[in-house]
Amino acid sequence: MKDIKRRIRSVGSTKQITKAMELVSSSKLRRAKQRAELARPYFEAQYTLLSEIASSKKDFSTVYTEERPVKRRLFIVIAGDRGLAAGYNSNILKAAVAAHAGDAVNPKIIAIGKKAVEYFEKRDYELVGSYPYLAENVKTAHCADIARAATEMFSAGEVDEVVLFYTAFVSALVQNPEQIKLLPVSGIGAGMGEDNGLINYDPSPEVVFNRIVPKFIMSLIKCGVVESYASEQGARRTAMESATDNADQMIADLSLIYNRARQEKITNEINEIVSGANAL
Amino acid sequence: MTPFRLEILTPDGVFFSGETDNIVVRTTVGDKGILARHEPYVAALTIGKFKVRIDGEFRFGAISSGIIKVDRDKTVILADSCEWAEEIDLDRAVRAKELAEQKLEEFEKADNDRGVAVAEYKLKRAINRIEAYKLRK
Repeated sequence: MKDIKRRIRSVGSTKQITKAMELVSSSKLRRAKQRAELARPYFEAQYTLLSEIASSKKDFSTVYTEERPVKRRLFIVIAGDRGLAAGYNSNILKAAVAAHAGDAVNPKIIAIGKKAVEYFEKRDYELVGSYPYLAENVKTAHCADIARAATEMFSAGEVDEVVLFYTAFVSALVQNPEQIKLLPVSGIGAGMGEDNGLINYDPSPEVVFNRIVPKFIMSLIKCGVVESYASEQGARRTAMESATDNADQMIADLSLIYNRARQEKITNEINEIVSGANAL
Repeated sequence: MTPFRLEILTPDGVFFSGETDNIVVRTTVGDKGILARHEPYVAALTIGKFKVRIDGEFRFGAISSGIIKVDRDKTVILADSCEWAEEIDLDRAVRAKELAEQKLEEFEKADNDRGVAVAEYKLKRAINRIEAYKLRK
């Protein structure tokens, strides 16, 4: 009986922790969503501009749009800094590993988030950048560093493709691991913008385009980080919510067992007294 | 003067959105003034000061590289970062300048080209902010 009582108490205190984590995650989630909203206008303006430039000339090409046979790839993988978020970390890492299954050489990796750093460090990967503890307070400067490293590697021919792995925030309950190809820039193209050669580019469309690409990639990485962070909080909130529910269930079950045992003990005692009295 | 719409966007949010009738920014090929009904125009911006006239008065600020895009009905500036002259933290800018100078010297001694480039960029930004601060009202 004492054991049962002790278990009820320990489950109770675990429940308090999971409940607190749930609340923390939901407030962090709200903040992350706000941040994602703030960065959106800048990002959208960049996207329109890039597509307008790309559609302004027929024979448009720069180093960033150049499609080469893919020999080596660079993966930028965004995961969390902490566990206890259901499948959040393992899903995105699995997606990244599955994506290069057919490659002759493992891709180079830039890992964002402690869990991603730990994962790729232990395995046979060339880790060219690691950014633990970035997501909670993501700064534009950090994303710019990552974007610069990626674009430099691409234009130097060290890698032929750059892919970003992040977790898309669909809703507080649903988060999906996703990948987007950052380089070479494709899919931004003719027909997207309204422009038809009337805009004056100073000094030239190519120069302006090449100036925007690193910034655009920076924005994509930042959006990816912010969105992944929101997903992480969403996943953790859900995980903690069900943990709290489970704790409630366990406490109810244990209390039932405890009460039964107590009842049984009392009945036994009465029986003993009664049979003792009868014997007299 | 005829007013037109201006939006200044940074990765941290919308910095300015409103009406103006005159903008001057520093592009990679020199200073450029924009008035209403300018032809469609796109240019890369370098680290520099900018001014916009709002309600008949010029406001000054500092910008670190970006893009300006002029359309028939509105102008958009995409800036890496942007500050009004009055909002600049002078102490921080001065400290950043000193740090950048020190770093620049170290990297030059070590023959680290990449480091020199980064330090130079930071130094330029700090100097730009200090100069912009002097233009405050």
